[in-house]
Amino acid sequence: MSRVALLSQPIPRNYSALIRQALAVAVLTMVLAVLSAAQDLAAFEKRVTVKKLPNGLTAIVCVRPKTAPVFSFYTNVDAGSVQDPMGKTGLAHMFEHMAFKGTDTIGTKDYAAEKVALQKVEDVYAQYIHERDKPVDRDEAKTKQLEQQWQDAIKEAQQYVVPNQFSEIIESNGGENVNASTSEDHTEYHYSFAVNRLELWAYLESSRFIHPVFREFYKERDVVKEERRMRTDSSPIGRLIEQFIETSFSAHPYHRPTIGYMSDLNTFSATDAQEFFNRYYIPSNMVVAVAGDFDPNQAMGIIEKYFSQIPSHPKPDERTTTEPPQNSERTVVLHERSQPIYLEGYHRPDYRDKDDAVYDALADLLSEGRTSRLYRSLVRDKKIASEAEGGTGFPGVKYPHIFYFFAAPMPGHTPEEVATAIHAEIDRLKKEHITDDELKMVKTRAKANLLRSLDDNEGLATNLALYQTLYGDWRELFRTVDRINAVSKADIRRVAGQVFVPTNRTVGIIESANAGGAQ
Amino acid sequence: MSKFFLRAPWCPLWLVLLFVAVTNAQEWKKIPIPTLPAFHPQEPKRVELPNGMVIFLQEDHELPFIDMTARIRGGSRVEPATKTGLVSLYGEVWRTGGTKSQTGDQLDDYLEIRAAKVETGANADSTTIGLSSLKEDFNDVFKVFTDLLRDPEFRADKLELAKREAADSISRRNDEASQVAAREAAKLAYGKDNPYVREPEYATVDAVTRQDLVDWHNKYVYPNNIILGVAGDFDPAQMEAKLRAAFASWAKGPAVKPPDIQFTPAKPGYYLIKREDVNQSWIRMVTLGTTRRNPDYYAIEVFNEAFGGGFSARLIQNIRTAQGLAYAVGGGISTRFDHPGITQLAMATKSESTVKAINSLFEQIDLLKTSKPVTDEEIKRAKDTILNNFVFNFDTPGKVLQERMAYEYYGYPPDFLEQYRAGIEKVTTADVARVANKYLHKDQLAVLVTGNAADFDKPLSSLGSVQNVDITIPPPPGSATQQGSEKPTSNDPAAQGKKESNPEGKALVSKVVQALGGAEKLNSVKSVKSKFTVDQKTGQMPGQIQAESSIVYPDHMKLDMTMAQGSFSIVVTPAAAFVESGGQVIQELPPSRRDESMAQIHRDLIYIAQHASDPAFTFAASGSEKSGDTDTAIVDVSGPGVDLRWFVDPQSGKVVRETYQAMGRSGPENTETAFSDWRPVNGLNLPFHRANKQNGQDASTTQFTSFELNPQVDPKIFEKPASAPQQ
Repeated sequence: MSRVALLSQPIPRNYSALIRQALAVAVLTMVLAVLSAAQDLAAFEKRVTVKKLPNGLTAIVCVRPKTAPVFSFYTNVDAGSVQDPMGKTGLAHMFEHMAFKGTDTIGTKDYAAEKVALQKVEDVYAQYIHERDKPVDRDEAKTKQLEQQWQDAIKEAQQYVVPNQFSEIIESNGGENVNASTSEDHTEYHYSFAVNRLELWAYLESSRFIHPVFREFYKERDVVKEERRMRTDSSPIGRLIEQFIETSFSAHPYHRPTIGYMSDLNTFSATDAQEFFNRYYIPSNMVVAVAGDFDPNQAMGIIEKYFSQIPSHPKPDERTTTEPPQNSERTVVLHERSQPIYLEGYHRPDYRDKDDAVYDALADLLSEGRTSRLYRSLVRDKKIASEAEGGTGFPGVKYPHIFYFFAAPMPGHTPEEVATAIHAEIDRLKKEHITDDELKMVKTRAKANLLRSLDDNEGLATNLALYQTLYGDWRELFRTVDRINAVSKADIRRVAGQVFVPTNRTVGIIESANAGGAQ
Repeated sequence: MSKFFLRAPWCPLWLVLLFVAVTNAQEWKKIPIPTLPAFHPQEPKRVELPNGMVIFLQEDHELPFIDMTARIRGGSRVEPATKTGLVSLYGEVWRTGGTKSQTGDQLDDYLEIRAAKVETGANADSTTIGLSSLKEDFNDVFKVFTDLLRDPEFRADKLELAKREAADSISRRNDEASQVAAREAAKLAYGKDNPYVREPEYATVDAVTRQDLVDWHNKYVYPNNIILGVAGDFDPAQMEAKLRAAFASWAKGPAVKPPDIQFTPAKPGYYLIKREDVNQSWIRMVTLGTTRRNPDYYAIEVFNEAFGGGFSARLIQNIRTAQGLAYAVGGGISTRFDHPGITQLAMATKSESTVKAINSLFEQIDLLKTSKPVTDEEIKRAKDTILNNFVFNFDTPGKVLQERMAYEYYGYPPDFLEQYRAGIEKVTTADVARVANKYLHKDQLAVLVTGNAADFDKPLSSLGSVQNVDITIPPPPGSATQQGSEKPTSNDPAAQGKKESNPEGKALVSKVVQALGGAEKLNSVKSVKSKFTVDQKTGQMPGQIQAESSIVYPDHMKLDMTMAQGSFSIVVTPAAAFVESGGQVIQELPPSRRDESMAQIHRDLIYIAQHASDPAFTFAASGSEKSGDTDTAIVDVSGPGVDLRWFVDPQSGKVVRETYQAMGRSGPENTETAFSDWRPVNGLNLPFHRANKQNGQDASTTQFTSFELNPQVDPKIFEKPASAPQQ
C-alpha cells in the first residue's frame, strides 16, 4: 500500500527500496502447511485471545512468554484515503496527524475555553474560504479581511494549547518506534512500551479515539503540504507513481493520492476532519492487537476497561465504484532530469479472489532473491537493468488493484528494451510451466518468511490486526498455508494468461530529458 | 472529578472549570506504573580461539532458525582513492563470484531451494559475510559460508556485472534531491576527499581489477581480524565445537592497523546546489561532531534528545508544530564509535520559505545560548525518554548480540550499555548547557541548500557569500568506448584508460590533417561560421532545427536556432553560458551543459587537427574496425577537454566516424557521429553531413549548407543581454 506517515522515514538509497517504499506493497505473508510444532496454528491458538467488545471493537492479545518485559500494539482502522470525500483528498491522512494532537484533557490548558476558540476558528474559516473560492464576484478586500480574522482566531485558540503533549507523554514514558500511517485501505497507529505501561497505553490509545481535539489543525495542514512536497512534488519517482496510479484507475477512488492534492490541502477544514472521524472511526471499524510478555487476562481486562468507552455508531456505507475493465493500453511518460525508470501494471481482483495466492506466488517467483526470474533475465543475463521486480497489492488490496512490474534500465539501455524483456518473461509464464524447483522455492520461502515474522512483537501485532481486519479472523494468517500450497503450475499459467494482456496494461515511464544539443 | 464540586452552588463557574482543567491535566499521571520486573537479558557466550578469532554464541530457541554474521576488519575507508568503489565491488563479487567449486549462480539455486541466504557486504570500516538458515539445513548452508570465507573465486564475469551496476548507480546518484543533499552535506562536514564520504566515479570503478579483489581478500581475511556472531536454535556446546573444528586450524595473519584518517570540514558559510525540478529546499547545516569515547558523550545524548530528538524536542516543537515550516526536521551533535560523527541541523521546507527556515534554525541555536537555555524540565523529559526506552536496546537476543559485537569490534567495554545508563542518569542541566555551548556554533556551520533558487523568499546571498556546489558527474575517461553493437561488453563506460601517442597514431593524424587541407591552412583558421539543418529523431523535441553557429577558437561559441517552438540562442564562453531569446536571458546553463557545449567546440575536427603537433594531445592507434563497408583505423584522441575515438580511412585520411561520451541532461551517453558529403571550403575539405547516434540509436542528422572561414565576429554577440534573468 502506498503510505504516508506521521514521521518521515529515511529515504532508501536503492531504487527498488525506493519504489517499494512508495508502493509499500502489502504482500500478505504466505505460509506453508508444515510449520514446526511451536509455531503452528494450534500453538498460537493457546497464545492468542480475541474479544469483540460490546461497542463492536475487536481486541487481540498475543502473549510471548519469557521473552522481554515489553509489548507492541497495532491499531488498525478499516478506513483509508479511499474513504476521502470528493474534493477533500488527504483527509484520512490529515486525521491521522490530528490523532497526535491530544484530547480534551491532554494538550490543553483550559478545554472549555479552547473549545469555544476552536469553534470560532472554524466559523471564520468557513466564511473565508466561501469568499476566497467564489467563482464570480469575489470581494478581494473581504477575502483578505476574513483571512486575517481566521489567523487571529487561530492565535486566540493557540493560547490554550500545550503543544505536542500527547506525543510527549508517549516519548517520556519510553515509547519505541512511535508512528502512524495512512494507506488507501487502512489507517494504522503503533508503538512499543515496557509492560509496566500497558494501562497507560490503553488510556492514551483509547482516549484519542474517544475525544480527539482538532487543535493546531491549520499549522499541521502546512506540515502535510511539506510532506507532499517531499514525497511527491520534489521526487521524480514520487511524481511517476502519482501519475501512474491516476492513469491506472479511472473510476475507483484508488486513483487519488493518499497524501491529497494541493488544492484540497489548501481547502479542507478541521470540521471536515471531525466529520471524517465521526463517520469512520467507529469501534466496529477498529482492531487493536497487542503482543508481548504480559498476563493475557490482565491485558484483556485493561483493554476492555478503556476501549469499551469508545462510543459506537452504525457502520457507514462504504460502497465504492468498481473499476471497470480497462480494455485499452494506457501510457504515461514523464520527462525528468533523472535516469529512466519503467513501470507497468495490470488490473487484478481484490484480495478475496480465489486466485489471491497465485498472485503472491507470481510475485515471489518473479522477484524474490537471486533466483528470481526478473533478476536472472534482465539483470544477470541480458544486463539491461540494474534492478527488476514484479509485485502485487498496489496501491492497496481491499479493492481490485494492480500487479506491477518495475525495472531500472542500465546506462545505454532504454525503457523500451526493458519492457520488451519483461514481456518476454510474461510470455514464458503463459507458454511454459514453471519448473518443479521454482514452485518448491516459492513454497519453502513462504514457510520461512511466515516463521520469521513470528518472534517479533511488532510484526505479530501488525499481522494479527491486519488479518483480523481483512478476513474477520486472525487465523487466516496461518490458513493461507493451504492456499499457497494448493497453487499449481497450471494456476500460474492460467492467471498469467488472463491478466497480463496488453489491453489490461498501464505503462509509466521516466524518460531522461536530454540536453539534445546542436551537433 | 467529584460531583460535589460541580453541584456546589457557592462555587463560581470559572473555578469549576479551572479545577476540571487542573485535575484532568493530571489524569494520565494517576495511572499506576508498576515497577518493571527485573530483567537480565541473556548475554552471549564469548569464545576466543588461539588464532585470535572471536566468537559470540547466542542461544535462542523461539524459532527454528540459525543466523550467523562475521565482521572482518578493513573497509572502504582504507581502499586507494584511485580505486574508490573497490571494497563495495569486493562485497558484491565475493558472493556472486562463487567459490572454487561452485559458481555464484549455482550457490543461488542451492540456497534458495532451502529458503536460506549467504550474503556478503562491505562497509566503511569492515566487510561482512552472513548466513541465515532453517535449523535443519544449517550444515549445508554453513558449508557454503566457510567455502566463501576461505575459497572465494571472484569470477570475472560477475565483477563485470558489478561494475556495470556501480556505473548505473553513479549515473543515478543525482536523481533524487534529498539524496544529493544528504551526500553533499556529509562531504562538507568531512571534506570531499575523506574516505567516509568520497564517492566511486566511473574512472575509479573501472580501475578495479579481479586481482584487486583477490589481493584484498588475502590481505584482510584472517581469523585474528574476524568477529563472528551466531544466534538461534542450537546447542551452544555443539555449536562451539563445530566452529572450533571449522576455524581453529586457520593460521593467523598480519594485524590490521587502524587507519589515520583526515577530517577537513568545509569553510563555514553558504553552499548552494540549484535544482529546477523541486518545490522544496533541503537545508543541511553541518560541522564535525565527536566520538563516544568523549566524556561529554552522555551530556550530548541528553542534549540531542531535548533539542532535536522526538516530538517534544525543540526543533519539532518550534519549526514543525508551531510554524508548520517542515514535515522533516531534526538534528543534533553526532557521535560515532571510532571517528567523529556529523553534527547537523536539517530540514526540508517549501522553496518560498527557505531563508526564513534557515533563520529559524539559527534562532534555535541562539535561544539555547541566550534567552532560553535548556531547562530542568526539558532535561528531565529527555532523560526520562532515554531511560524509559532503555529496555529496547536489549529486548531481543539478536540486539544483545549485535551490541556486544560492536563493542568488541571498536574496543569498548562489554558493559558499555550499563555505563551508558549510569552516564545518562548523572547528566545535569549544567552539563547539557555546557555541551550545547561547546559543540554548537552558528558561525562554524557550513549551510548547504539544495533547491530551486529562483523561488526562494530571498536570495541566499542576502545571508552571506554563497558558493555553488558542482555535482556534475565526471564523465568516464577515454570516452571512445562504443565499439559497435557486436561487442556489447565494450559498452562499459571508462573502458579505456589514458593512452600514450604511438607512431601509428601520429602517422594517421598526419593523414587526417592532410585530408582536411594541410596544417598551414588549418592553423590559419581562427573562427568559423556555418549554417546547417538538424533533424532530431528522438529526444524531447523531435523535428527540424535551422541553425547558424559562430565559433571563435578555442572557447567562444554562439548558436542561433530556429525551430517550431521559436528562435533562441545559446552562448558559451569561459565567462558565461546562457540561453537567450528575444534579447532576454531565459536560462543560465548549468555547469554540466556548459561543459558539454564547450566539449562540442573541442571535439571539432578543425580544432583537433590544429593540435596535431601539440604535446598536450595524444593520438594512439588501437587497431582497426569496419565503419560501414570501409576498413577504418582506430585512433584514440586525448587532450585538454578532449577524449574521443576516431575511425580513419587509412587510404583517404578522412575521419569516417567518431565515438565519444557526451553529457546528456542526466548523465553520460555513448555518442557516435558519422561524417560524409565532403566538400571543399576555401582550401579546406570538410564533411557537410553528420549522422549522430546516441546509445546505439539514430538520434539526429546535421546537414550543412555553408561554411565561412575567419568571418568577422562581433565580440558583443557573446555578451549577456543587459536584462536580468527571468525567475
